Amino acid sequence: MSDRVAIIGVGWSGFRPITPEFSYKELMYEAARRAYSDAGVDPRRDVESFITVAEDFHEGTSIFDEYTPDQLGAVLKPMHTIAGDGLHGLATAYMLVKTGQFSIVALEGHSKASNMLTHAGITAYAQDPVLNRPLRLNTHFVAGMEMNRYLYDTGTTPEQCAQVVVKNRRNALDNPSAPYGAELSLDEVLSGPHLSWPLGMRETAEHVDGAITLVIANEEKALALSNYPIWILGIGWSNDSPALENRDWSSANYIKDAARFAYRQAGIHHSYQAIDFAEVDDLYAYRELQSLEALGFFKPGEAGQVTEEGLTHRDGAFPVNVSGGSLGMGNLLDANGLARALEVVLQLRGTAGPRQLDEVSIGLAQSWRGVPTASGAVAILGN
Amino acid sequence: MTLLKRDPNAPSAWRDEMQVTSRYTFGIAGERFFRAIKDDQQILGSHCNNCERTYVPAAAFCERCMNQLDEWVDVGTVGEVVTFTHLYVNYDGSQREEPETVAFIKLGDGGLIHRLVSSGSHPVEIGMPAKAIFKPSSEREGSILDIVHFELITN
Repeated sequence: MSDRVAIIGVGWSGFRPITPEFSYKELMYEAARRAYSDAGVDPRRDVESFITVAEDFHEGTSIFDEYTPDQLGAVLKPMHTIAGDGLHGLATAYMLVKTGQFSIVALEGHSKASNMLTHAGITAYAQDPVLNRPLRLNTHFVAGMEMNRYLYDTGTTPEQCAQVVVKNRRNALDNPSAPYGAELSLDEVLSGPHLSWPLGMRETAEHVDGAITLVIANEEKALALSNYPIWILGIGWSNDSPALENRDWSSANYIKDAARFAYRQAGIHHSYQAIDFAEVDDLYAYRELQSLEALGFFKPGEAGQVTEEGLTHRDGAFPVNVSGGSLGMGNLLDANGLARALEVVLQLRGTAGPRQLDEVSIGLAQSWRGVPTASGAVAILGN
Repeated sequence: MTLLKRDPNAPSAWRDEMQVTSRYTFGIAGERFFRAIKDDQQILGSHCNNCERTYVPAAAFCERCMNQLDEWVDVGTVGEVVTFTHLYVNYDGSQREEPETVAFIKLGDGGLIHRLVSSGSHPVEIGMPAKAIFKPSSEREGSILDIVHFELITN
């Protein structure tokens, strides 16, 4: 028997800048119900293990993983939480199925960012407590410094970064789940307020509330239950040194490493030829360009040029962030990687509606955990 | 979900905050690193002979080869601006009227993150040298704040 692993169900709730009427449990419940319905499974009967991705400080609750079983149908079942991005969770789900112990696994990630009243304090608390945090610097400085060195080393221009914002927010207009769709001019992006120069506020993804659930199954169950299983062809993850003092300020080496890992598994030698489209991290606009280069699609300095030329537009030769990305859909915190994977699944199924790409068979999803981290993950999915 | 007809006057949320206070032990390498700043205005690195790499701030071990490090190096107080930013938001997320400049200054094969000031009118550029400015010895207490900031060297 072959032992492929597939995503057989997707469900989401949102995405909206605020959700004052719903608790996080209700957001999760809605996303989970939709995913189980989409997969044709009963969570109480069929789903054998459950995973969430969550961070205690994002939730405002210590030992938050204790609060996750009920709304997912996981009471008195194996359940655990990963402190990582949604794609780290997908890797974990993949491995759980690969053990042979579980045939169907559910994975959930969410954001109730609108309930975080002191988010700057939470990211600041992630800085090194001895070397960096005493300086009392807003954590966006890490992105501002990374962008500056990335532009310096690669010759990428601020205009090329701003072009990412124009593209992704325009893409979001065709995604009914994306709240930040907009028709912006390059000047409107560039003339916005500074956040951490050269990084502008309009090049930074706004937070959003929502939840995403995926149902993952082994090949036997996937073929029995699903008309369009989306196969996990490769999944990799990597961490650079956490120390700001030891990392490379120009290239995201942990993304390179995660990609190598995923490409090897998927048997991909030339990523640009093998992969039809990508959903990549764009929490800050420059990150899309830096990520595309780390993923090997373009050489350093080329991603900005091809973006300007329209190659990564929806109707270009290599569409990137057709969903609108995080700039268009919003920053979903720990669930960002799941939002990227969700779009790849919808595109590969052919159910992406007005933004559907023609004839796609392999897509890539990539994520980063945001400042001040140096960890990310890459998933390659195929239909 | 559409179970709920909302009453705008009904209570919708509870508000709470958490008291968190922690002690962060410097460790053997960190203690020596900060004592050198406090006592001698020195910035110390630790050198790995396997990897030929000098860690700044000094570390007890090499993250590349896992070698234990005990060769200490004074890396001086002048380094190169690897990258910098003009930060327009405060620690708590509020807007700043005037930006503050933050830089990574290369020292040894590592370096330090700190505020950067320019005494002249020369704008900051990547690659320029900058010097650590220390607090007077009576005010130093053995922390990264014993360095007031780095100052751009423009001549």
